[in-house]
Amino acid sequence: MTIRTRMTLWYAGVLLVSILAITVLSLNEFHERHRTPRSERGMKEIVEIVLWIGIPAVLLSVGGGWWLMRKALAPLAVLTRAAECINERNLTEPLPRTGNGDELDRLTEVLNRVTGRLHDSFTRIREFTLHASHELKTPLTILCGETETALRDESLPPAQREHCASQLEELRRLTRIVDGLTLLAKADAGLIRLAMAPVRLDELVRDTFDDAQILALFSKIRVDLAACEGTVVSGDAHRLRQLLLNLVDNAVKYNQPRGSITMALRRVVGTAEFSIANTGPGIPRESLPRVFDRFFRGDSAHSSDVEGCGLGLSIAQWIASAHNGTIRIESAPSKLITVTVRLPLLQENRIA
Amino acid sequence: MLVVEDERKTASFIRKALQAEGFAVDVCHNGQDALSAASATPFDGIVLDIMLPGRDGLSVLRQWRERNNATPVLLLSARGEVNERVEGLNAGADDYLPKPFALAELVARVRALTRRGGETKSPVLRVADLTLDTLTRRAQRGETGIELTAREYRLLEFLMRSAGRLCGRMTILEKVWDYDFDPGTNLVDVYIRRLREKIDADFDPKLLHTVRGVGYVLKDQP
Repeated sequence: MTIRTRMTLWYAGVLLVSILAITVLSLNEFHERHRTPRSERGMKEIVEIVLWIGIPAVLLSVGGGWWLMRKALAPLAVLTRAAECINERNLTEPLPRTGNGDELDRLTEVLNRVTGRLHDSFTRIREFTLHASHELKTPLTILCGETETALRDESLPPAQREHCASQLEELRRLTRIVDGLTLLAKADAGLIRLAMAPVRLDELVRDTFDDAQILALFSKIRVDLAACEGTVVSGDAHRLRQLLLNLVDNAVKYNQPRGSITMALRRVVGTAEFSIANTGPGIPRESLPRVFDRFFRGDSAHSSDVEGCGLGLSIAQWIASAHNGTIRIESAPSKLITVTVRLPLLQENRIA
Repeated sequence: MLVVEDERKTASFIRKALQAEGFAVDVCHNGQDALSAASATPFDGIVLDIMLPGRDGLSVLRQWRERNNATPVLLLSARGEVNERVEGLNAGADDYLPKPFALAELVARVRALTRRGGETKSPVLRVADLTLDTLTRRAQRGETGIELTAREYRLLEFLMRSAGRLCGRMTILEKVWDYDFDPGTNLVDVYIRRLREKIDADFDPKLLHTVRGVGYVLKDQP
């Protein structure tokens, strides 16, 4: 039944009830009037009629109308709630249909078809990235190999040697970008299996802390480890190491000379919380939500000559979420930039 | 050496690089040829691409191992994921290198594969007047003792064990850090710089040399 038919029928019902109610009230009034002497009629009587018949009639119509609208719009509210939950990951889950063939049911069907098409497009983009990054590898291998072969030639004049070496460095950078893209494309397509095992996160953090001190040494950046509480998480040690190193690398690159970095690992209600804060040019508020986007580089990164592949934070975010964790970044102007990673603890009390 | 690689240009520069190192190199472009070549001639080592027309590298490798052919195999792959690496090593490969690779890495790995007991057994490693005692973990340049952190020690030990040979960044990351991914940082370069300050800054001749864009080599002569 269409909504129009349903609403018409309901409306007719409401009218019928109203007419019945008014008739009953009118009959009641009619009896009262016969008992009252004629002389006392007048203004008072008119007011009474309005009070006893008009107001209930109006209230009844308003109440009925409100009920009608609510009933008619209820499926729309359900649909809205369901549609709000749509994101790029659950595009294949259809919105619930009532199946009664009304306008809303048809709208749901159309929406389901739209999300289906979106899903196809997303899949195609993912496949494209995966294939593109894969196809790039063969020519890159050849370019790197031939440039290196040229460099091995002892008779190469110094100017050309310099030229080749510089080219090779750029090729290596391109390789890193392609590797990063492949990793993310595979992660999107769900092709990466993590080797999950209990991991002592505190040991990884200590190792990374050692690396951070060395990485920061030549920029004269001070690195502190404020806390390193014993924590065991379920994870892929290689990936977690990569996550920590990515964050440290960023903290060193986007820092100021003689700045500082503070790392901390704490247990916070069932989660391992790793935070790394660094001094440096802050990130504008409007850029913050985008820093995890692939190839997003803020103005400060563009203007400085920081070398990076633009995928570090995207990869970090993927690793965190693949471990059922979260990653968050905060920055206040002229203050610290803090990245916080939370991972679920494997066993809360295993390590004192 | 046998190189099995369908991409002709890649096969060609691998052959050139290995020949430059003194290896005699045969090249095949598909799995079937590789199988017959390997059964006809005993090779010292095989560089095998996974993606081959017809029969893929992994199935060729499995067949070799089933026939009890124990020739060391270095797998090359354009896919390059940890899972695949494990799969390759399980199939009987001795080493694995993801594409795109640095030629220096490939050469170093092939050398490591085919090295037959040539490694020094002495606990004291020596390059010029630099010595490293692997038992006491003490490093000395001439008469001067050198303080090293644990990581610096591992790095120096690795470089000294490969003295005279070019060490690629990826190989260093793998052997010294146990990383099988490129962390995209200049970690290796920074550690090398630090190590250089300790072992080379106040001494002559300089031992730790950079081969730009490729890697590092620890050697006596410039």
